[in-house]
Amino acid sequence: MKPKIIVGMVVIVAGIVLSAVNFVESNVEYGDFATAQRSGKKMQVKGEWVRNQESFFDAKSVTFVFYLKDDNGHTEKVVLDGAKPNNFDLATSVVAKGKFEGDHFHATEVLTKCPSKYEGDAESVKRTL
Amino acid sequence: MIGSILVKVGFAAALASAVLYYWNARKHSGRELLLARAAFHTSVVSLMTAAAYLLYLILTHQFQYTYVWNYSSTDLPLSLLISTLYAGQEGSFTLWALYTAVIGVFLMTYTSRKGYESEVMSVYSLILSFLMLMLVVKNPFALIWNTFPNDLIQTGPIPPGMANVVILDAATQIWARFPVEGKGLNPLLQNYWMVIHPQILFMGFSAMAVPYALAIGGLWKRDYSSWIRVSTPWSVFGAMVLGTGIILGGYWAYETLGWGGFWGWDPVENSSLVPWLVCVASIHTALTQRKSGSFVRTNFALSLLTFITVLYSTFLTRSGILGETSVHSFVDPGMWVYWLLLAFILLFGGIGFGLLFIRMREMPKVQVEHSLLSRDFALFLGASALTFVALFVLVGTSSPIITSIAKGKASAVDIQYYVKTNLPLGIVITLLSGLGQLLWWKSSRVMSLLRRLLVPAVVGVGVTTIVLLLGWEEPLILLFVFCSGFSLAANVQVAQEIYVGNPKFAGGAIAHIGIAVMCIGFVTSERYDSKRTVSLEKDKPVEALGYRLTYEGYKPVENGKFGFVVAVEKDGKSREVAPVMYFSEFTQSVMRHPDLINYLSRDFYVAPLSLEEATDETKEQTIELAKGSNVAVGPLSLSFVDFDFSNFQKGAMLEGKGFEIRAVIRVEEGKGKENITLVMKQGPEGVEFPSVQYKTTDGKTIDLRIAQVKPDRDDRDKSKVEVAVKLPPDAAGATRKGETLLVEASVKPYINLVWVGTVTLVVGFLLTIVRRIKEAGLRHQGEEDV
Repeated sequence: MKPKIIVGMVVIVAGIVLSAVNFVESNVEYGDFATAQRSGKKMQVKGEWVRNQESFFDAKSVTFVFYLKDDNGHTEKVVLDGAKPNNFDLATSVVAKGKFEGDHFHATEVLTKCPSKYEGDAESVKRTL
Repeated sequence: MIGSILVKVGFAAALASAVLYYWNARKHSGRELLLARAAFHTSVVSLMTAAAYLLYLILTHQFQYTYVWNYSSTDLPLSLLISTLYAGQEGSFTLWALYTAVIGVFLMTYTSRKGYESEVMSVYSLILSFLMLMLVVKNPFALIWNTFPNDLIQTGPIPPGMANVVILDAATQIWARFPVEGKGLNPLLQNYWMVIHPQILFMGFSAMAVPYALAIGGLWKRDYSSWIRVSTPWSVFGAMVLGTGIILGGYWAYETLGWGGFWGWDPVENSSLVPWLVCVASIHTALTQRKSGSFVRTNFALSLLTFITVLYSTFLTRSGILGETSVHSFVDPGMWVYWLLLAFILLFGGIGFGLLFIRMREMPKVQVEHSLLSRDFALFLGASALTFVALFVLVGTSSPIITSIAKGKASAVDIQYYVKTNLPLGIVITLLSGLGQLLWWKSSRVMSLLRRLLVPAVVGVGVTTIVLLLGWEEPLILLFVFCSGFSLAANVQVAQEIYVGNPKFAGGAIAHIGIAVMCIGFVTSERYDSKRTVSLEKDKPVEALGYRLTYEGYKPVENGKFGFVVAVEKDGKSREVAPVMYFSEFTQSVMRHPDLINYLSRDFYVAPLSLEEATDETKEQTIELAKGSNVAVGPLSLSFVDFDFSNFQKGAMLEGKGFEIRAVIRVEEGKGKENITLVMKQGPEGVEFPSVQYKTTDGKTIDLRIAQVKPDRDDRDKSKVEVAVKLPPDAAGATRKGETLLVEASVKPYINLVWVGTVTLVVGFLLTIVRRIKEAGLRHQGEEDV
């Protein structure tokens, strides 16, 4: 084989290996609060917003504080960087991405899931009759 | 009814056209050709009529159609009402099919002149028929009582005075009610971008089907070289339109949706970027094939992939498979759409690559020795790098699928993945886009090359220095900036040289100038942006990021929304921004839209976070007190001593008469201690919590009262009491504060480079299309002469 091709192959293989490592590393796993607390790693925790516990926007630290109950029924205080996300009130489930810091889960991002948000359902039909 | 029929007729006609074209391609009788054309035109006309009819239904508010009810309402202005035509899934498939049909009409004339009509149109009609099958399954003309039969269909006599009723079966007295108002359009979509962005994006998606169909035509006819000339103008057209659509989407996200930047590596964005990258790669390898005859197979593969990646992207974003791993909410469209989209990919992937595999062996093997210093080799490397970027973005976007197969749990990759993986490739691409232009075909002489490299390298260093004035950055980012600057100067140099000879040939160089300028803009605006959260009390100026900001109050803008006016002062000049916040009934939450001031060298970007009411009166706060532990409130420290039941008569409580519960609270202020007694009175009119005034040492009054008692029956020492405390304004540590607007202000340096680069890129694409169409025409005339 020509050296040119060998060098090319090496570059391509190295590139693919590096990006595979990168892919695995930057994949933020789903987990519950217990695993996130144990590992101390960045994780995505899916759960339900506990509406009857306090939730407020802290203007001093520019964070939104709320309580999230994960799928195992474990509730933790979540501090999100930024304001209350759009659609938060409608969300049937919430995914918080972040890690534990002391007594709370520090989320850098929150995804809200609203399954039938934009699709009409029977309830909304009745309202527009 | 009419609509559903039109869609079905359109589907059948497109399918018939595909079959007739196929027969004609095999037999060349000519009779099938006319029929095939007629069938295709029938399909186009029924589709256009169906779309026009849907638009008519929307404009006349026919809410008995589920689609019309779901996405529009009577209060929308005309332009937005028109845009609801493609606001939902059914509608956006209609738009896609519509553009595919219209492009097909032009493609038919074009290919018939080039002698490719039967083969190409057979494939193209099949694509159209599949898009129309999507509409048959996901029918935009579904009637609302068929969607919600349990809620709307009723039997028996119709109550008198009931409007909006339709009789379904008079004999059995079956009838249905339908809505008088629509659900309305998602407020996120309610702006002028919605009118223009999807149109351009779907036109781009549709155009991507042409290189695919032409590649199949080439394989079919065993024409492995001249199809490239026929196909290139279409590839460039597709890349131009889709590229414009992508950037417009980015601008929409930046300017209106308030994502903070114009690119967020979101699945929806990525899925339009991938086909674009593949298409651009194919344009480059096609150039090499025209010059040296190499890359025959690569060109087929890339042209096929351009369309297959469009289909795969559609599958990712429309099938609901990405689920909850994205900011976008992907509505689950039902199993039918899922399987149909999957079948779509497998069918067209199978046809394309199956045929390529069959023809592979008989393709001419062109042995071309590429010198490392040749334009051919640079183009090859550049196209490979583009393909790898496409691959990595595709893998990243597919992460939820990959991880759910590998680990059983779907998870998405962080944005960092895309930056880390693509940055080295970006450096290679920008370097080659400059270097390649300076190299000669076949091989270049080192000395003459070095002389031409000098100016671009100096400019590259210059640009990097200017960027460094903004601050330090990672070496790889700085290398990317250097390569972009280098490419910019190299292409300006080349464009100048070409312009002297034949200005029409400058398209490539101009497009590369655009890309280089954009890349510099990406770095300055995204890596050197400065951000700060600012709390703006009304009429009190605050200095932030070198600007003087004054919140001047809010004013109503169109329908129920509020603009929050902030005066922005810089160098003595004052301008105004008015970011918008409002409560949306549709999403049941607060919506926020940013506002910005576009200066020549930067954008000043203001995203609203929240509005804090004026604190005229300090709010009452409630604290829970347990025995033996002190809680600090303002200047006081409170603890719970015990309940005092001395006045409590159990008998009275049981008889439902009035009774009292007293709680003794110890109040400590500095060194002073005092016990006060708070009372909860149950009287005939309900419970009362009279408050007790406590005078502090500096003469202020603090109101205390019971909020709730929590006696513990088993262990009296575990009893608790909640006390409401109202502090005087300054004792709470907070002085009287006016209405306060909280915003995130940011400065994005040289963001205009991104927009200037985009326009330059489009101009470059346009020039290239004109040139390549002429070339394809010349070739055709040449054939006739022979």
